[in-house]
Formats: sequence, structure tokens, C-alpha cells
Amino acid sequence: MAIVKLEKTPARPAPLTERSVIGWMHRHLFSSVLNSILTIVTLYIVFITVRDLWVWGIADAVWIAESRRECFDINISGACWAGVLAWMDNIIYGRYPREELWRLNLGLIVLAIWMAPLWLPRVKAKILIGLSVVFLYPFMAGYLFAGGEKGIFMQIMVTAAIVCLACNTLHSIIGVSGGGGLREFLFRLPAIKDAPEMSQRNILLCLFGVSFVAVFVWQMSWNLDGVPWTQWGGLFLTLVIAGVGIASALPGGIILALGRRSRLPVIRVLSTAFIELFRSVPLITVLFMATAMFPLFMPEGIVLNKLVQVMIAVCLFNACYMAETVRGGLQTIPKGQFEGAHTIGLGYWRTMGLIVMPQALKHMIPNIVGNFIGLLKDTTLVSIIGLFDILGMLRAVSVDGAWRGLHNEPLIFGATLFFLICFAMSKYSRRLEQKLSTDHKH
Amino acid sequence: MAANINSNKPVALKPVEKFDFFNDERVRSVFYQFLTLAFVGGFGWYLFTTTAHNLEVRGMGSGFDFLSVEAGFDPDFKLVAYEAGVGTYGDIFIIGILNTIYISFLSIIATTILGFSIGVLRLSSNWLVAKVALTYVEVFRNTPLLIQVVFWYIGIFSLLPKVKKSIDLSAGSEVVLLNNRGLYMPWPEPGDLLWLTGLALVVAITAVFFLKRWAHKRQDETGKIFPTLTSSIGLIVLLPAFAYLMTGSPLEWDIPKLEGFNFVGGATLPPAFLALFVALTMYHAAQLAEAVRAGILSVGKGQKDAAMAIGLRSNRSMTLVIIPQAMPAIVPPMISLWMNVVKNSSLAIAIGYPDLVAVFMQTSLNQAGHAIEIVGMTMAFYMFVSLSISWLLNIYNKRVQLVER
Repeated sequence: MAIVKLEKTPARPAPLTERSVIGWMHRHLFSSVLNSILTIVTLYIVFITVRDLWVWGIADAVWIAESRRECFDINISGACWAGVLAWMDNIIYGRYPREELWRLNLGLIVLAIWMAPLWLPRVKAKILIGLSVVFLYPFMAGYLFAGGEKGIFMQIMVTAAIVCLACNTLHSIIGVSGGGGLREFLFRLPAIKDAPEMSQRNILLCLFGVSFVAVFVWQMSWNLDGVPWTQWGGLFLTLVIAGVGIASALPGGIILALGRRSRLPVIRVLSTAFIELFRSVPLITVLFMATAMFPLFMPEGIVLNKLVQVMIAVCLFNACYMAETVRGGLQTIPKGQFEGAHTIGLGYWRTMGLIVMPQALKHMIPNIVGNFIGLLKDTTLVSIIGLFDILGMLRAVSVDGAWRGLHNEPLIFGATLFFLICFAMSKYSRRLEQKLSTDHKH
Repeated sequence: MAANINSNKPVALKPVEKFDFFNDERVRSVFYQFLTLAFVGGFGWYLFTTTAHNLEVRGMGSGFDFLSVEAGFDPDFKLVAYEAGVGTYGDIFIIGILNTIYISFLSIIATTILGFSIGVLRLSSNWLVAKVALTYVEVFRNTPLLIQVVFWYIGIFSLLPKVKKSIDLSAGSEVVLLNNRGLYMPWPEPGDLLWLTGLALVVAITAVFFLKRWAHKRQDETGKIFPTLTSSIGLIVLLPAFAYLMTGSPLEWDIPKLEGFNFVGGATLPPAFLALFVALTMYHAAQLAEAVRAGILSVGKGQKDAAMAIGLRSNRSMTLVIIPQAMPAIVPPMISLWMNVVKNSSLAIAIGYPDLVAVFMQTSLNQAGHAIEIVGMTMAFYMFVSLSISWLLNIYNKRVQLVER
């Protein structure tokens, strides 16, 4: 027996240049003379910038004051955030009546509740939930925000939205707590479980119909006060325009993209021309076109308000950009998928709806988020044609009596707000991309 | 014997022509296309008649006669001679186009240089530099361009010192001056013999071309590397400089001078121009930097290793191996970014730089009416630029593809 050694030799610690902070700095900051100089110069620039920003924006800043003059009296070298704070309500909500602000907040909360299931695990039929958000929520939110007398169409849509929201929430709660969905849950109820299959469906339909009628009758009893669009403004208006833009751009973009890839030459040429027309001109020219030319297109007696004109313009413009995103997504689908779908006898719409689109959508989500970020940033352009969106409000601070001349602080606040929203969304879309990617990685 | 059973001659199956009118694909496709055409045509006809009716009711004229009507205003920045009260809307259209092209062209050049630099810095081995470049990219990419444009204009270029206290950018010689009325700089006034210097430049460039070919050939034959870059720069700088001095410096500079309350002479760039230029450059450079970074990263790591293995130095492997392969991935997004610069230069309207949209689509439209003609002409210009740029891109893509095979 010749046992040389029984215990394992402990690994020697890595050399100091590898594991310590100094080692890291040596490798990443001071690996050569040139790099060292670069590091020191950059460090100096960063230091100066951060220090100046800190002193101006935080250390010397004035947070509580009545007017810009008072800001100057307290500390002339710092930022006057008091003006931004005083205008905060205007920047977020515009000139919306202050006693009706709960409607905007409620709209936001409803949206959050409606969309939350999309992120919850174990909730089924997420595509259906997503579609209901896109197609029903806008009506509910539209009525919440605008108010006034409900037409019969609006009554139906609002009722549908409320019923759908309720079902949705129930469905998600059931899904999270026990798995399955609303349908399975109802089928497990003793009253329905024993019924034959045909009448099971009828019972469900009845339940749905009864709740629809009940909500319909209930909503007939109240009306919200009308708020004219001229009082809409601030971040709220920006989000509304961007939201309408994205919600209508997706269906529009899908139709245009399918048209552009169609085998029928007339449809292909028309779609391509439409897409390229809007993609080759700046958004501001489309907005001007909307305000200058749409009134000429309308039959006598019908006057579109500026907000509707702007929304139509933004939708058209963004649908064309979305079409290219969708087309990019469709191009990632290999030909074999189309051929396979044909082989099992699916027609055009089923091939697209059941085989191609679900796969393409996965590739498109990051780009759609990118599109939305672009749209959100571009929406600031509506301030040029005289809507008081967030940028319009930020610029209005400087003509307010007490805060005359206060330009930079509101602009920097607005830029920071946009940065936070857009940066978070782009980070999220990058994470989503990694999560959805089914490519094999080593 | 058993094999014979299966060796029957195949019977040719005759396709049964069964023509089903409603399910035939050709009939359907013709029908759908006809339906689309009818719909689009009907919609177009509706728009045409309603518009014509509306124009008649409102007593608005149509046609392009207004282009020869004098425009009563004077854009405060123009590259061609124009006299208020005499110049027409047609002239305004030209001024707008030139102003748009001018700012776009300068911004594109600056964007390309800055974007490439930041894209390379993003990949720097120096951690701090890479992070600073990343911060730059994220900050400028994620804030709206319009807010940036307005900020540069109101927050920076309008707050510069007054004329009397101008900032001297030329280190005490008071030649290049910056104040709240803009940037003042000398402007060259060519003398008689300047063409000789130009000729020398052309000769130098031709010589460099031949020098490169010769150096390449020599390297192929003998393996010796000729310092092409240094000698080319030397040629291009020294030869024209020599010609310039020999002909007695035939170039006068018109230097801005303070007279009364303002500078006279030289060339002036108004604050709106500077703000738009800086904003466009900074915003698009951040996006170009990402394209450059993605392009360089798309070249496989093996390429660099292989270049090192055959003994190329770091800078040579960059110029000979990495960059030629990265370019096909960088150029298409870069060119569409150039297109975006042209389109986004229309934000000039927010700060009063008289570009095409500002002088033609806003001021002229408000004064002269003729909405359809003016909107059509403006959009046609942008579409023309866009088509030209995508034509360029197609040519490039074809060339790259040919090289690949």
C-alpha cells in the first residue's frame, strides 16, 4: 500500500492581482499608460459634472417658495424646484377639473387591475385578456375621461367593459389561488356539474346575459359630468394619445403588414405605398396635414376637434411603423411553417392566426415596446400644434406670473420623467426578449 | 415472379378539371383585388368631391399660382439672396429646402463622427470610459428629442452672454465668437490664384491613389509594408500648403467686427441653428453608437483571434479584419439614421429655425392658404429625400452582397 496523500490539497488563493479591488482596477482602469491617462481625465470630467449637478440640483436647490423671486432671494445659484412642485398637478393632469381628478386616477387603477393578470403566473388565456384590454378598455377609459351623456353604443361598450373586467378579475383570482380558470371553476359548481354538456353552455350564457343586463340597467342610472377635451392636458394627455396610438397601431399594423406580404398585386402595391408614404415624412408634417386638411375632407356640418385630428394622425403614422415591425416579425418565421399549415389544410386566415402570428408575436414584443417608447417620445410633438400635453405644460410654467422665466427646471423635470419611463420600459423589453427567446444558448 | 406484380406500368392520372366558381383561387383573388380597388377608388372619389365642394363653399382657390405671389415675410436665416416684399412663396420653398438640407447635412457629418467615437468607446477595455459612454447613450436615447431641442435653445444658447461680453472660442484672437445672437466666425474670400491650391489638392489626392496601389503591390511581392497613411496625409497637407504659399496666400478672411451693438462681417449661425445642430447630433449619435457597437460585436471573436494568430497587430486587425466585416452590419442602420436626421430636423419649428416645415408648411400655409398644395409639396420633398437615401442603401447592399460571394 502506498498512499501518498489522504487529504485534498486546498487550492491556493488566486494571486492578489486577480481577486482584490486593486487587481480589478489594474485590469479595467490602468492597464496601460494611455488607459491610465484616459481614466484620470474621465474621472475628472465625471467628478466636475456630478458635483455641479449636485450643487445646482440638490444642495443649493430651493424646494419651498411662493415665486421665482423668492427662490432667488433664498439661493440664486440653485435650482428652483418650488416652481415645478407648484405646477405638479398641472404637469400631470393638465387643466382637468380638480374635483374630477379621481376619474383619471380610477382609469389608471382599472388599467392596472385589468393588465395585472398578464404578469401573474398560472393565469390562463392571457392572449384573450390582452385583446380585451386593447378592444374594451379604451371605451371605458374614454367615457371615464370625457364623460357626458352616454349614447346607446357607449352604454353597450361600457357595460361590456365592466362585465369583462369583473370576469377577468374573478378568472385571475381563481387562476392564482387554485389553478384553472373561470370556466373550469363554474363547471365545478354543484348546480352546473351534473347538467348535460349542452345545457352547461346554456347556463354559462345565461349567467353572462343576466350579469350584462344587470350592469346595463345599473349604468343607466348615472352619468358623469362632461369634461371638454380642451381641459385635457399634461402627462395624462400624452399618455392618452400614445395609448390610443399604440392600441390602434397594432391591428392597423398587422393588416398593413399582411397586405404588404400579400400575393395579390393590387393589395400589395397599395399597402406598400401607404406604408412608405407615412414612413418617409416627419410626424410633424402629418400633424400639420391633419389640422390643415382633415377639415376639408369632412362633409359639411361635421367638425372634428383638434384632439381627434391629432389622434387619427398619430394612429395612421404609427400603424405604418408598426407594420414594418410586424413584417420583420413575420420574416423570422421559416417557410416550412406556412407549408406545414397548408399541408394540414388550413386556409390563409387560420394559417396566419393559429400558426404564424403567435410565433411572430414573440419575436415582435421587444420591437413593439421599442415602438411604444418611440411613440411616447414623439407624442411631445403635439405641443407644437397647440395641444397642452406634458411639454406644453412644462413650457407654460415660464409664462405663469409667479414663475415667469422659469424654463430649465420644468424641462429637466420632464426629461427625467421621460427618461425613467422609457429606460424602465426598454430594460423590461430586453429582459422579456431573453425570457421569451427559445434559442439554444450555451 | 412476385416482383412482376408490382412492376405494372404506372397509370397516368388525369387531373380532373373541376371549375368551382366560388372557390377558385384565381376568381377569388381577382374579386378581392377588385373589391379593394373599388373601395380605395370610392374613398378617393369621396375625398376629392368633398374637398372640392368645401373649397368652393369657403371661396378658397386651388392650383400652384400662389408660388409666384410675393410672400410678405423674411426668414431670418437664408442661404440665398432674398428680399422681403419681392420674394415669392416659390422662393420661400427653395429657402426652406436649402435650410433643411444645410442643417441636416452638417448634423449628419457630426453625428457620424460622434456616433462612431462613442460606439467604439462603448467597447473600450477601460471600465470607466465604457460606463460613461453607456450613460451618455441611455440618457440621450430615452428622452424626447423635442425636449432636448427646446432645452438646448432656451437653456443653453439663449442664456449665453450678450454681444459685448462674447465668449471667444479662438483663444484670445477674437476671431470666432459666441454670444446670445449666435456664432460669429470668419468667412473665406477667395483670391485670383486660389484655383492653383485646389489643383494641388486634386494632384495630391490622385498621387495618394496611385501610391496606395503601388504600396499594395509592393507588399504583395516583397512583404514590406509602406507607411501609406503617414505619407498620404503628408502629401495631402503639404502639397496644397506649398502651392498656397507660393501663390502668395490668395485667400482673404472676412473677420467679424464689433460695430455698434452687433458684429458685422464674417458668417453667422443663429442660436436656433446651433441648438438644433447640437440636439440632432447628440440624440442621433447615441443611436448610431448602439448600431456601431452591435456591428462590431457581430464580428465573431474567432476573427480577432485568427488575425492575432497570423501576427497582425491590434490596429491592423481592426482595420483589415474587424471593420470591413462590421461595416455591412453598421451601414444600413446608419443610413436610415441619416434619414431620421433629415426628418427630425423639422423640429426646427419649435425654436424658430426657418426650415422647410417652419417657413412653408406653417407661415406660408397660414398666410396663403392652399393647404393641399403646400402639404403635398412638403411631403413630396421628404419623400424624394427618403427615396434617394433608400436607393443609396440598395446600391450599397448589392455591392456588399457581391463582395461576399
